[in-house]
Amino acid sequence: MPFILFPLLLLAVCLGFTGTAAAETWPDADWPVQPAAPGAAVAAFENYAFPPRDDAERRGVRSDAVVVIRDGVLVYERYAGPTGAASPHLVWSVSKSLLACLLGVAYGEGRFRLDDPVARYYPPFAAHPDIRLRHLLTWTSGLAWTEDYESAPLTSSVLAMLYTRGRQDMGAFVAGHAAAVAPGTRFSYSSGDSNALAAALKGMLGAEEYADYPWRALFEPLGITSAVWERDATGTFVGSAYAYLSARDLARVGLLMLRDGRWRERQLLPREWVEFNRTPVSVYRPQGSGAVPGGHWWLNRDVAGAARPWPDAPEGTFAALGHWGQALYVLPEDGLVIVRFADDRDPSYRHNDFLRLARAAFGRREEH
Amino acid sequence: MRRRHLLLLSIVLLVIAVIWPNRAHLAAFPDIIGAYTAKEYCSCRYVTGNSADYCRAYTRQYVPIDFLHDDPGLRRVTARGLGRSHSAAWLGPREGCRLLSEMEPPPEF
Repeated sequence: MPFILFPLLLLAVCLGFTGTAAAETWPDADWPVQPAAPGAAVAAFENYAFPPRDDAERRGVRSDAVVVIRDGVLVYERYAGPTGAASPHLVWSVSKSLLACLLGVAYGEGRFRLDDPVARYYPPFAAHPDIRLRHLLTWTSGLAWTEDYESAPLTSSVLAMLYTRGRQDMGAFVAGHAAAVAPGTRFSYSSGDSNALAAALKGMLGAEEYADYPWRALFEPLGITSAVWERDATGTFVGSAYAYLSARDLARVGLLMLRDGRWRERQLLPREWVEFNRTPVSVYRPQGSGAVPGGHWWLNRDVAGAARPWPDAPEGTFAALGHWGQALYVLPEDGLVIVRFADDRDPSYRHNDFLRLARAAFGRREEH
Repeated sequence: MRRRHLLLLSIVLLVIAVIWPNRAHLAAFPDIIGAYTAKEYCSCRYVTGNSADYCRAYTRQYVPIDFLHDDPGLRRVTARGLGRSHSAAWLGPREGCRLLSEMEPPPEF
């Protein structure tokens, strides 16, 4: 009996594997395209995402681009304003999650461990010997940092870093901040933590390897050709803010994350790294209705008894989010990756509304 | 007399309480608008490839700028606001734009 069963089992397993491989679609030089059929759900989605654009007062939802990938196939794209399919768009803080992908590759190459002190790779952090890479990745460095943009320009650490006192050497500017609390004890979203990571990555690699690393480690393996990543005067990537990609190219990063860090047969980001990205920051306590922080990504998880931030999207949903409405959403339960570029200058746009309408328009059930 | 002393004391206290702890912020603050405009206009034009008109509107903030000069030949942008000038330049297809330090020579025009 076992002699009969075993070959059958083997056959079933083999068929199972080839079946999975055949069903899995990946982009080559471009995305396979299969436009979603127009209908009421797509129209409702477009009414929300692309209302008449107010360029005079810059009010309301002002999407520049939306690209929707379902199970590796491009099912929807639309552009507005000056943005087209080939335009590399500024992604602002989505850059932070791209930086996390670079660090994931470096982690897989054994360049560092999460509990290594930052100072080991970036000497100006000698003043903060207890801050570990894990703390920067979870925005729990404890540094006295003020993360405000237009709302508090006088005391904003971010504006000072990007435009005035910090702009020549952003890592050193961050390192020069005092500690407010002990590392790992308080979540406080900080572009400074992200740029300190970008500086630490330089120390792990050396300046020469570092300059090409985003391309060699991430963009080229994924077939991304539109990427630009601006630096400060010392050559450190502005990991907090200044990456530019086309919407189609950013969707490739979404597909990498949807498939747990694997690109075709290559495990580019270790699975445990992606797991870390998707784990809520342990000391985070829900603040309003904002997304839940993970390891340099944003999560739709219910933590500490609070409802999940986007109730109309599945709990596994996670995202990279940036200023003025930039977003890369990954919905593993639905097989969806959605890129949204925008120039939202007021808070009209709601992630949850956008995701609810996108799921209704492009979710798998639409087929049946 | 007593009132004048009180006024003087209030001013001194205000300086100590508000201005002194924020002196670094206050000194750098006027630089933000010129630097922001130069950098983001440069990237809007030469990284993203948008039109000059679009980039003027895109970089508009509630603090007005006095002057903006874009040299398409050098891909170098200078902006002045609140009396401070800053320049940004496009450095390459992967590097995009960066603010130039005050030591680097200003563009000639």
